Amino acid sequence: MAGINEVNRNESKMVVPLNTWVLISNFKLAYNLLRRPDGTFNRHLAEFLDRKVPANATPVDGVFSFDVFINRSTSLLSRIYRPAHGEEPQINIADLEKPVTAEVVPVIIFFHGGSFAHSSANSTIYDTLCRRLVGICKAVVVSVNYRRAPENRYPCAYDDGWAALNWVNSRTWLQSKDSKVHIYLAGDSSGGNIVHHVALQAVESNIEVLGNILLNPMFGGEERTESEKRFDGKYFVTIRDRDWYWRAFLPEGEDRDHPACNPFGPKGKILEGIKFPKSLVVVAGLDLIQDWQLDYVKGLEKAGQKVKLLYLEKATIGFYLLPNNNHFYTVMDEISAFVDSNC
Amino acid sequence: MSLYSSCTSAASSAGSSVSSTTKTSEIDCLLAGAGYRVRSSDLRHVAQRLERLDAAMVNSPAEVSQLASDVVHYNPSDIASWVDSLLSEFNQTASLPSDLPELPELVVGPVLNQTVLAEDAWTDHDAPQHQQLNNQFPVMTAMEEDSGIRLVHVLLTCAESVQRGDLAFAGSLIEDMQSLLARVNTSCGIGKVAGYFIDALSLRIFTPQGVGFGGGVGLDAAYENEVLYHHFYEACPYLKFAHFTANQAILEAFDGHDCVHVVDFNLMHGLQWPALIQALALRPGGPPALRLTGIGPPSPDGRDSLREVGLRLSELARSVNVLFSFRGVAASRLEDVKPWMLQVRPKEAVAVNSIMQLHRLLGSEPSRNSPMEMVLGWIRNLNPKIMTVIEQEANHNQPGFLDRFTEALYYYSTMFDSLEACTLQPEKALAEIYIQREICNVVCCEGSARVERHEPLAKWRVRLGQAGFRPLHLGSNAFKQASMLLTLFSAEGYCVEEKEGCLTLGWHSRPLIAASAWEALALPDANSPATAPGIFVNPHSNPPVNSL
Repeated sequence: MAGINEVNRNESKMVVPLNTWVLISNFKLAYNLLRRPDGTFNRHLAEFLDRKVPANATPVDGVFSFDVFINRSTSLLSRIYRPAHGEEPQINIADLEKPVTAEVVPVIIFFHGGSFAHSSANSTIYDTLCRRLVGICKAVVVSVNYRRAPENRYPCAYDDGWAALNWVNSRTWLQSKDSKVHIYLAGDSSGGNIVHHVALQAVESNIEVLGNILLNPMFGGEERTESEKRFDGKYFVTIRDRDWYWRAFLPEGEDRDHPACNPFGPKGKILEGIKFPKSLVVVAGLDLIQDWQLDYVKGLEKAGQKVKLLYLEKATIGFYLLPNNNHFYTVMDEISAFVDSNC
Repeated sequence: MSLYSSCTSAASSAGSSVSSTTKTSEIDCLLAGAGYRVRSSDLRHVAQRLERLDAAMVNSPAEVSQLASDVVHYNPSDIASWVDSLLSEFNQTASLPSDLPELPELVVGPVLNQTVLAEDAWTDHDAPQHQQLNNQFPVMTAMEEDSGIRLVHVLLTCAESVQRGDLAFAGSLIEDMQSLLARVNTSCGIGKVAGYFIDALSLRIFTPQGVGFGGGVGLDAAYENEVLYHHFYEACPYLKFAHFTANQAILEAFDGHDCVHVVDFNLMHGLQWPALIQALALRPGGPPALRLTGIGPPSPDGRDSLREVGLRLSELARSVNVLFSFRGVAASRLEDVKPWMLQVRPKEAVAVNSIMQLHRLLGSEPSRNSPMEMVLGWIRNLNPKIMTVIEQEANHNQPGFLDRFTEALYYYSTMFDSLEACTLQPEKALAEIYIQREICNVVCCEGSARVERHEPLAKWRVRLGQAGFRPLHLGSNAFKQASMLLTLFSAEGYCVEEKEGCLTLGWHSRPLIAASAWEALALPDANSPATAPGIFVNPHSNPPVNSL
């Protein structure tokens, strides 16, 4: 057993830069400590280990941020990132919610990853990622601090996403010149999963979402797919840990064919004929759940929905966290084009 | 194979000179952007250690659960040391219960071992909504929201006029603001905070300079301040967190010492010390002999309030069989205290405890032999086992008035927001007055009258590093206990965060108070081995307004 793992470790080291390997391995080992076999989660240690940054109303590289309540009674917070204009050295408290000025301003509602259990909107890695999104898309980014599993199971994360969508949609200061808020949904890992489900709800309630961006989205199912068997334990992720997170998120007693996990599975919803947003789905070629992600793309295509698949053969999970590889820049360009084209 | 090599950046210390014991080091700046600190030259080594740890964890799954539950983790930003500390756990044979004494349940409330308090206690918003302590946020009408925003606009314009010296115009704005105030709800939210800031600005504009506000100058003010402090202590968890965290660190530092001496820079009612006395009483192997030196302002009308507090603490110590002696040192200002007054003895382990006192030493202009340098100098010469420093996490000592004002507006808005959840009266009302006095001092005073010169943790790190102190990291046990304390005693919304060995307590992701612990570096000596503490300054730190 140990021998196989050694091989696996060597494999993963060969496909990512050293600092990326250190970062993701650090996460992997830390997360191993946090997941208990009985399904509970060491939340205190998780919060202690997670690196966070406060919001910063002083523009850094042209972006400033501040935290707002989406819903005070559930303590649902979001971090808003905005581009700074002109040479203001510091944004006034009164200007945080100043109306956006450009003709069209995309507003990206972002759901961070963490397999539904880890990370927060103020995690450093996600703060960094959101700031970059502001720059490349000339957008306002709203990063939602949704409730996490196992303390809060399905559908809490989706409910929080839905609340955030409604909040964003009703902010006059986020409206473009046509008096509408131009909304995109984006997320990685569990965040990508949330994007799908919130978009679905948006369609059912007639709120327009202009596009979905899913980065290594977290999907699954009861079946063990080829990619899961092939990549188990090879590139930082194991089937066992995926199973743990689904058990933590899904309602007790439900299996992985629950539509939250497997939207195009036996219990999934029919998407034919509805006006679902166009989707950009990024799949990493060394991600063990890629077969599920590819099934998701196929499912959208079969339902006549507009979807672009970006398959990155040699990419592992988390490749978008550090700007030190080709895949990172490819994806950022694609996202920028995706958010731009509609406007 | 990677086309993009890791970029590195030299960590630089703030502006001025670097202490001779620090080194600049090449830190991988991409990992820094993710919140981690690893020297580029160390990357390969760290990777190897990670591999080793991975293998160890795979081979002994039983140890893994122990790593999670019993081991204390420190400073996760420093991946190298974190991995090494976990690896060293695997080198131990049998599993050991923690040898370090923990604060007893009877004082703190939450029990510190897992069997009684379920491990899955929650933080922040993850907690199921059993109690809605903060459900009375009134819905603001659109007009109120507008008036609130206008108020803030005018406040900032007023502050800017004050900075420019145009007091006439600033004065006229006061009137405008007062009429705006009439249109918002002043019992909470922006209306309440704005009210206090308008008052503070009025005082500054209409009162001759040199009159101290909220500085606790004068004997009566000192007594009032004690009362207000006590209510602030009760109404919200900031001071409890400070005491709790400092005590845990002091307890650990005193481990193995039979004669210990705590120097408290601001005794007040001695609220911090019963818990430590009781913890020491329960120490395995028996309590040490404890001396406490409490510093505080002289008392009015012949009372000796320091001594009274000392007597009460003595009674408590006697009741739990801790050898205890107390000494009061009356001084109006910390810089008036001379080390000989503390009568530190040669063999005792000394802990210096400063809860929101050090910032008072910051004069307007840094100079040679400043009060700060002098005090830090004699503290270091005491060679304390530990110095606990708790300070407001804010940048209220900037030279520009507008910057200071804006920062204070943000900071105190957040603090008032957190106070909304408190339902205890009169604690809440008096706590607000306590905070209001701080606001007044920050806004109205200048020169030596302005004592509330808060600076952020990043600046304290540099200052204390240059003064010859090295950080002692506060670990996951202190973090967990602080988090549990909050979930049990306070409203949702408070959050503890770990930041490179220090802990901060904040309200909804804005840190408001920072706790850190320090030890004095060995004084430079020809015979001692070179120590390279490698004091890192996080190149990615986010002080609220200005950079270092």
